[in-house]
Amino acid sequence: MARVATNEGAREQGSSTLHAEVPPAQAQSNIAVDCIGLAKRFAGGSVVALDGVSLTIRSNEFFTLLGPSGCGKTTLLRLIAGFETQDEGSILVQGQKLDGLPPFRRPVNTVFQSYAVFPHMSVEDNIAFGLRMQRRPRSEIASRVKEMLALVRLGGLEKRKPAQLSGGQQQRVALARALATEPRVLLLDEPLSALDQKLRAGMQLELKRLQNEVGITFIFVTHDQHEALTMSDRIAVMNAGRILQLGTPEEIYERPTARFVADFIGDTNLIEARRVSPGRFRILSGVEVEADEAGTIGDDVTLAVRPERVILGAPGQGPLAGAVDQIVYEGTDTTYHVRLAPGVRFRVCEQNRGGARPRFRQGDAVSLSLPADAVRVLVE
Amino acid sequence: MSNVRQRAGLLTPAMAVIGVLLVLPLGLMAFVSTLERGRDGGVIWSRHTLDAYVQFLFERDLMDNLVLNTDYLQIFARSIGLATTTAVLTLVIAFPIALWMAFQPPQRRTFLLFVVTVPFWTNLLVRNYAWILLLRNGGVFDRLAQSTGLTHEPLNVLYSPLATGIGLVYSFLPFMILPIYVSLEKLDRRLIEAAFDLGANRWHALTRIILPLSMPGIVGGFILVFVPCLGAFVTPALLGGGKSLMIGSLIQQQFGQSRNWPFGAALAFVLLALIVFALVLHGLRYRRLAGRLT
Ligand SMILES: Nc1ncnc2c1ncn2[C@@H]1O[C@H](COP(=O)(O)OP(=O)(O)OP(=O)(O)O)[C@@H](O)[C@H]1O
Ligand SMILES: [Mg+2]
Repeated sequence: MARVATNEGAREQGSSTLHAEVPPAQAQSNIAVDCIGLAKRFAGGSVVALDGVSLTIRSNEFFTLLGPSGCGKTTLLRLIAGFETQDEGSILVQGQKLDGLPPFRRPVNTVFQSYAVFPHMSVEDNIAFGLRMQRRPRSEIASRVKEMLALVRLGGLEKRKPAQLSGGQQQRVALARALATEPRVLLLDEPLSALDQKLRAGMQLELKRLQNEVGITFIFVTHDQHEALTMSDRIAVMNAGRILQLGTPEEIYERPTARFVADFIGDTNLIEARRVSPGRFRILSGVEVEADEAGTIGDDVTLAVRPERVILGAPGQGPLAGAVDQIVYEGTDTTYHVRLAPGVRFRVCEQNRGGARPRFRQGDAVSLSLPADAVRVLVE
Repeated sequence: MSNVRQRAGLLTPAMAVIGVLLVLPLGLMAFVSTLERGRDGGVIWSRHTLDAYVQFLFERDLMDNLVLNTDYLQIFARSIGLATTTAVLTLVIAFPIALWMAFQPPQRRTFLLFVVTVPFWTNLLVRNYAWILLLRNGGVFDRLAQSTGLTHEPLNVLYSPLATGIGLVYSFLPFMILPIYVSLEKLDRRLIEAAFDLGANRWHALTRIILPLSMPGIVGGFILVFVPCLGAFVTPALLGGGKSLMIGSLIQQQFGQSRNWPFGAALAFVLLALIVFALVLHGLRYRRLAGRLT
């Protein structure tokens, strides 16, 4: 807690010197949202939903929060939107401190996890709601609503009430409603979860296009790793109210730093290992592998290797000997479960380039090799 | 086939209750309203006449001609006016209370609900007498007004339409609070958050989201207050001093002092017809609104 406090102090000092030197508009132009040491507890302090979260989200960035259910993603969005008040820390949007501002004074809009479309209003009234609250001229509202309807492909349904729409259609109304007023920051809490694969892919493209064209900053929550990896500029992986790693999709996937991140995103082989010399680790008695080591770490570590980076070969081709335990056909790929020693299994993923017939069969003796750049050394 | 019989069997108790307690008395009342009045009260069961309904609108002058008499119509109009005013006032007072209650923490809500129903534990007559003590000259309010220098004359509130209004609003307040509270409690809080999120201030959130969505409760409460108010006779008699006659008191008089059962029954029937007409009209409007959706 003390650490958070000093952090905040240092940060505020830093930003005030920045203001003195650089015109404020420039200093703020590339930062959309700044969260500083946010903490939020529920139920009289017994539930810690956020535990010191600091993030800086750049303007026009597609920023994704990824994490297991209950890790605090919705809570973070609700703090930014102003529906909850943080216990500690503060939030700035484009350099403006939001602390204490009610939701309707904040330049952010939300697409709710539960849609929250107004049941007594037609689709078009739902979409027009924000524009009417801003007292935009009638003609502008009409044309903007039409635009939004086309964008979310709900043309022809404008007179319908939400009760007469499917879940996916309601979700699109919620999206159109939040986009209509062109907020500077859009908070999206699993906005595509109720859409089918095809519509989802279409909406993903639309969201990316909007981000580029309109210049809205997106803070996006999803459970779908594929969606997170393909759409985001940067991803924050959260667990238990903390941010474990923050980086580009490539960094998060290829170079996870925490065991949780490696395990949560994609499929990973995790092995306990002991360091024998810098860059060399013993994973089994007599079996050593090389790895790019970043920073100083203890002697007992966990190594992570993505299944698709493991090279599978005939016995003797690689340094690790084992036997095929199980073969799982997955359409584009085939995954081999290889037993190296009792209780030590490795998954190896290969693309089905040569058709559906696997190269090996169950019980075959095989060998594995691990390229040094595929092995990550994790901190706990 | 057996299914149909089974269903009919299951319906029998409910149908019996409705038949004995509703259809039968109503039928009896309708029948009585078409009978001739007995000389010393009661009715002559064998003689039919529509005199009771004629009496509602006309009277006989010296030449025995029928001329329009608006006395009873005026009483109806006054009663409808009083019932409407009461219902509107009750609504204005009840809505903020219900809204406040619905936004309290759950345990406190249960307690508040209990508090709202506390007046039901005391008999209506007793509560009306309590109001007499409060409102009469020399009562609590009168003394308060005079000691604070608000007025130097006696207030003279008791035995006025104002006292009737106060008494009715007080008696019927729970009937308005409860249905509105129920509809507000059901209201999804996230809709209000969504409205705020889209830039609605508190007033707009109230008028565009909360009010429309609690409409079923408001309409329900309005009917629950308006209809019994129309027939109320205890409060107008005790607090209004029976000076300006209301439908309820009028009907009660026909069966009491005036000993004119057919006329009392006819008045009750006209009142019933009016209420049913209003409800049907409301129902149709509602269905038309619903129809517009599909
Ligand atoms: N109003 C509340 N009262 C008590 N606890 C709460 C409240 N809101 C959230 N929590 C708790 O805070 C934690 C974080 O919740 P949050 O809704 O932010 O999770 P999430 O990451 O959005 O999960 P999901 O992916 O399932 O939507 C959870 O343990 C949750 O139970
Ligand atoms: Mg959530």
